[in-house]
Amino acid sequence: MTLRERRLRTAAYWFVLPAALFFILLNAYPLITVLWDSIHFKNLLNKSLSGFSGLSNFKEVIHNEYFAKALWNTVVWTVLSVAGEYAMGLVSAVALNQQVRGRSLFRAIIIIPWVVPIVIAGMTWTWMLTPDYGIINLWLTKLGIIDKPYYWLGELDTALLTVVFVNIWRSFPFYTISLLASLQSVSRDMLEAAAIDGAGVRTRFFRIVMPQLKIVSLTVIFIHVIWTAINFDFIWVMTEGGPLYASETLPIMIYRYAMESYNFGNASALASMMLGFMICGFILYYLFSQRKSRT
Amino acid sequence: MKARKSTAIVIVTSLLALMLSACGGGNGGDNDANKADASGNTDSAATGNEAEKEVNLKFWAALDPSTDEGKTIQAKVKEFDEAHKNISVDLQVITYDILHDKLVASINAGDAPDISWGLAEWFGEFNNFGALADLTPYVDKWADKNKVYANVWDALKVDGKVMALPNYLGIRALLYHEQILKDAGFDAPPATWDELLAMSAAIKDKTGKEAYGIAGAGVRSPQELIMYLAQNDVQLAKKMDDGKYKNTWLDNPDELAKATEVFKFYQDLQANKTITADAKTWGWEEEDQNFVLGQYAMVVNGPWIEGRSTENPEGMKDVKVAAPPYKKTPATFMEIAPLYVYNSDHLDATWELAQFLMSADYQNAVNPSKAPRNDVVSEAGWGKDFMALADQGVVFPTVSLGGITKAMEDALARTMLKNDSPESVAKWLAEAINKSLETTNELSGK
Repeated sequence: MTLRERRLRTAAYWFVLPAALFFILLNAYPLITVLWDSIHFKNLLNKSLSGFSGLSNFKEVIHNEYFAKALWNTVVWTVLSVAGEYAMGLVSAVALNQQVRGRSLFRAIIIIPWVVPIVIAGMTWTWMLTPDYGIINLWLTKLGIIDKPYYWLGELDTALLTVVFVNIWRSFPFYTISLLASLQSVSRDMLEAAAIDGAGVRTRFFRIVMPQLKIVSLTVIFIHVIWTAINFDFIWVMTEGGPLYASETLPIMIYRYAMESYNFGNASALASMMLGFMICGFILYYLFSQRKSRT
Repeated sequence: MKARKSTAIVIVTSLLALMLSACGGGNGGDNDANKADASGNTDSAATGNEAEKEVNLKFWAALDPSTDEGKTIQAKVKEFDEAHKNISVDLQVITYDILHDKLVASINAGDAPDISWGLAEWFGEFNNFGALADLTPYVDKWADKNKVYANVWDALKVDGKVMALPNYLGIRALLYHEQILKDAGFDAPPATWDELLAMSAAIKDKTGKEAYGIAGAGVRSPQELIMYLAQNDVQLAKKMDDGKYKNTWLDNPDELAKATEVFKFYQDLQANKTITADAKTWGWEEEDQNFVLGQYAMVVNGPWIEGRSTENPEGMKDVKVAAPPYKKTPATFMEIAPLYVYNSDHLDATWELAQFLMSADYQNAVNPSKAPRNDVVSEAGWGKDFMALADQGVVFPTVSLGGITKAMEDALARTMLKNDSPESVAKWLAEAINKSLETTNELSGK
C-alpha cells in the first residue's frame, strides 16, 4: 500500500468515526443491553433478586396470562392496518392519477392525516368516538345505522378494530404518495397499446400497472409492517391497551413491564422475543422470495 | 505518525468524556459545600456554608397554572424564594399524567428533584427505590407537628419513620344534585348501598337520569374500589407479624364473602341501571364532567369539584355534600397527596421549603378546603363537610402499588365488562395482589 493510499484510508476512518460512535452509543449499546438484561434479574422494586436468570424472564413472560392475547392482537393490528392502508392507498393513488379537475388540490389535501401528530389525531378521534358527545355516534344514530350511541373504544369487541381503523386513516396517505409516484412512471404508450390490443381495464391494471408497482409496494409494506408492529403511541393514546387488554399489543406489554412493574428483566425478554419474531418473519419472507425467483 | 495517533486518542477520549459528563446527574453536584447533617436543625439553611453559597432546589409540582390555585402556589413559592437569600427554588410545572414516569426515570438516573408533588399510590414504589429521605428528625422538631391529623402522619410512615410529608388531602364524600333527588321525591341522599340501589329506579323514572356515577377504569377506579371494600370491612392487604403484607381473602371465607359482596354491588349497580352502561369504562374525566353537567344525581368525589362551579355555575348550583353510602362500616377513601423529599446533599434547605409548604399561611392560601392541618378548615364552601369525614378515611397500604392497582382495575373490568361471577373475581384479585407483593418482595410468609 502506497503512502497516499494509507493516508486516504486514515482519512476514511476519521470520516466513519462519528457515524460509528453514534451507532455504538445509540444502537449497538442499547441493543446489547436489552439482550443482556433479558437473561438477568432486573427489577427496580425487588433488588434482592439479581444476577443471571437464564431463561426465567422468558418463561415468566410466556406464562403471563395476557401474553397470547397480546401476541394475537399484535398480529391482527399489524396485518389489518397494513392491508387496509395498502388498499386505501392504492385506491386513492389510482384516483389521483386520473386527469380530473382540482387534482393538485386533492393531492395536497390527502396528505393531511399523515402530517397530523399521532397524539393529536388519537385524542381527536377519541373525542369524536365518545358515546356521550362524540360526533361519530351522533351521525350514526341520525342516519339510523345504530339505535343508540356505542362506546367503540370501551367495548371488548370493538376497541382494537376501532384503533386499527383510525391508524389506517392516518397512515394511508404515505402509501398514496409512494404509489402515486410509481403510477406516474407507468408508460402510457404501453397502456394504450394494450388497450388497442383489446385488453380491458382490469387486465391492464393487473397485468401492466400492478407489476410495475411491485417494488414500491413491497418496500412500503415492508417498512410499515415494522413500523406498525412496534407502534406504541396510537394504541396508548386511544385505549392504553384496554379495555381489559382487548387492544394490548406486545409494545404496550413491554411498556407495562418496564414502566409500571419496573421489571426490566421481563421487559427486555419480551423486547428480545419481539426482535426474534421480526427477524424470523423477514428471514422466512426472504427464503420464500428467493425460492420463488429461482423457480 | 505516532504523534498523529496520540492526537486522535486524545480527541476521541475528550469527546467521550464530554458526552458522558453531559449525561451525568447534577443533583447536588454544584452544592457539595451544602452538606446537611440531618440533625433536624431547621435554621441551618441560614448558617455556615449554605448561608454563603446559594442552594438551588428543584421543585416539581403538578399545579395547573391556569387556575387561581395554581397562580397562588406560584406566587407563594416566589414569596419563599425572595425571603430566602441563600435558597433559590426552581419550580417546574409537570402534570400528573407524566410526573410519575419522569420521577421514576430521574430517580433511577440519580437525578431526582429535591422535592416534588406526587400521588399516595407511588409511596411504596419510591420507598422501595430507596429514593426518599428519612424526615423523622425534622418532623420531630417541627413546632406544628401536632397540627397535622394523626392518621395522615401514620399513612406517611414506613417502619415508624416519616418518609413523606402531607401536601393536601383529597377526602372523598358523596356529592349529590339536591334538585334531581327532590324531583325524584327524595329529601335526603342514601345512607347505605341498599338505599342507593332502591332509589335508582325512581330517579330514572322521574328525571330520566341515572342515580349514580363510578369510575370503572383509570387511576380513580382502585381508589373507589378500596373505599367500597373498607365499607364492607375488607382490607386489600394486611400487615403481618413479619412486617410484610398479604391478602388474606383466600385464607378466610368470611373475608372472601365480603369481598364478593363488593363486586356483586358493582354488578347490581349495572344491572338495575343505577349507573349508565358506559360508566364501566369511565375514567375520572368522564365521571367528573358528567356529574358537573348534571347528567346523573350522585357521585363519591373529592373537594376539587367545587372549583368547577365557576365554569359550570348552572350545573353545580344544587350540589350538596354528605357521607358516602356504606354496607357495614362508614368509610371513605382519603387521598393524602404527599410531598416527596428525595435524598440529596441539601436536605436542610429542602426542609425549609417543605415546612413553608405545610405552614398554616400557605395552606390557608392554597388549600383552605383540603388542608392536612386541623387548624386550617374553611368555614365557607365545602371544607368543613369534607374534613368531618377525615376520621373514617382509609388509605392504600404502604407497598409498591403498581401491580396491585392494575389488578384492581382488571378486577373491575372482569366484573363489569366480562360479567365474571363476583366470587371468581374476588378470588382472582386476591391471587393477583399476593403475586404482585411476591414480585416486589413484600409478601408475608405467614
